[in-house]
Amino acid sequence: MSKTMPHTVRVFLAAAQRDFRITTRYGDFVVGMLVWPILMPSLTVFAAKALAGPDGAGLSAFAERTGTTDYVGFVFAGMVLWMWLNMVLWSVGGALRSEQRLGTLECNWMTPAPRLAILLGSGVNQMIVSVIPVFVSLAVCTAAWGVRFAVTPLVGLVFLVSTIAMFGMALAFASLVLFLKELNAAVFFLRGVFMVFCGLTSPLAVLPPWMRAVSKALPLTYSIDLVRRLSLAGASYADVSRDFWVLAAFAAGLMVAGCLAFLIVDRAVKRSGTLGQY
Amino acid sequence: MVNRFGTDGFGAWLRRQFRVIGAIARKDFLVFLRYPANALMSVVEPIMWLAPAYFMGQGFSVDGQAIGFAGFTGTSDYFSFAMMGMFMSSYISTAFWGTGFSVQEDMTLGVLEPNWVTPTSRVSLIIGRSVIMFLLTTLNSIGVLIVGAALFHVNLTGNVLAAVITMLPMLIALTGLGLGIAGVVLSVRRAGTAIDISNWIVVQLSGTTFPVSVLPRPLLAVALALPTTYGFDAVRSILLGTRTMLPLKVEIGIMLASTVGMCAAGYAVFKAFERRCRRQGLLGTH
Repeated sequence: MSKTMPHTVRVFLAAAQRDFRITTRYGDFVVGMLVWPILMPSLTVFAAKALAGPDGAGLSAFAERTGTTDYVGFVFAGMVLWMWLNMVLWSVGGALRSEQRLGTLECNWMTPAPRLAILLGSGVNQMIVSVIPVFVSLAVCTAAWGVRFAVTPLVGLVFLVSTIAMFGMALAFASLVLFLKELNAAVFFLRGVFMVFCGLTSPLAVLPPWMRAVSKALPLTYSIDLVRRLSLAGASYADVSRDFWVLAAFAAGLMVAGCLAFLIVDRAVKRSGTLGQY
Repeated sequence: MVNRFGTDGFGAWLRRQFRVIGAIARKDFLVFLRYPANALMSVVEPIMWLAPAYFMGQGFSVDGQAIGFAGFTGTSDYFSFAMMGMFMSSYISTAFWGTGFSVQEDMTLGVLEPNWVTPTSRVSLIIGRSVIMFLLTTLNSIGVLIVGAALFHVNLTGNVLAAVITMLPMLIALTGLGLGIAGVVLSVRRAGTAIDISNWIVVQLSGTTFPVSVLPRPLLAVALALPTTYGFDAVRSILLGTRTMLPLKVEIGIMLASTVGMCAAGYAVFKAFERRCRRQGLLGTH
């Protein structure tokens, strides 16, 4: 145990360092990471502005359903969190598949290094990198649109719990993609499900009942709703405690499910010998 | 006499170009059929993008009518507005990705150089790809329109034939744009991010999901410089009865002029970059 632990930590750090170097090596990736969080939510806000109307005629209907007339902050919160999930799916979720395509997965997995430590190290780097666009986007929203997001310890805690939930989900997704051997279609589908059901740009009240039921089974719905209520509407812990603990339960469950999925895939590919195939 | 059309004249030269265009289109169609999951996702994914637009419209609506939106456009049917925008913007994405960026894919796969050293016109090779991509986009968009109309409420009351005829100059102009982008990609290579961002900006600033009149002045100036903005506006006024920014005849005139301009500019840009790549021997590198 005393020998294994430092060894595992070293593998974890080496994987994180390697991925950080790869990330910063490609300038176009860094440009995209900074430009997309500005472009995508901002242009969606123009659609909301058009719906509000030149005289604000549509705003009363929006306010009745959401409890706020601040449609800019509402749209930004939804879009930014969804974009974060999208990035995590591509980076963490696609980590194993990318290595498989590059031909380095089999070589790395043949070494006596703990494979879960390799994946977690790689994933932690991607998670840290993926948080940068979130802050860029919120900063632009504040500077360009004058929206004030309240940043409290509870909001920070919601972000932390959401991070764990997304990471767990991405781990499970990464393992699944190794079986499916098709990253693009899998990401398009999964991110699309979250886009349709999680109330990115609309209140959940406008969804039909069956869609609302589905949305309650997705952790991103709670993340978006909690950020909107805590940061924009000034809700307190007492107002959101139930939803917060639901999100925390999702985070714990998804993290365990992600690690389990990885261990199952690890065993399955060893038996079938399909690790190098793509 | 030997001129640029060869010894057998213009007619034979033209037939040869059609044969090249047909062969490339057939090849790309076979590649498309080979990946059914991607073909299916190309219909499912736009529906997934349309759903948030539909529900966002509902969030601002009273009895299903987007009353605020009507103040900008003259119609309270936001979803039909956005759906038509998505339909037309798919052709812009085809010009950027299907035509322009596909050159990089050929480079990566290593088939660009072998194809380009054959005695065929490189412009015909690109146009062949454009033709099949636009046809596939049309089929795909019609599929999206049918599924979208079944799931949500779409109300197109205008003259469809007139709208299609109005769209044609825009499609030819986009072929010119795709040709120019292909030339730039030849030279730039890792152009994925630049193409992605440029495509998104042109699609959005053409007014896919909102009327461009809501944009702040600097962005409005960019939007008004894009011929696609007038194409979107004209087609919507024909199909949905929305108010146009300029008289319809003027918008069609702008599109016709831009068709000539974009095709000429696209050809010139492509030839300039192609010459540069041939001189420097860059075709086989990536």
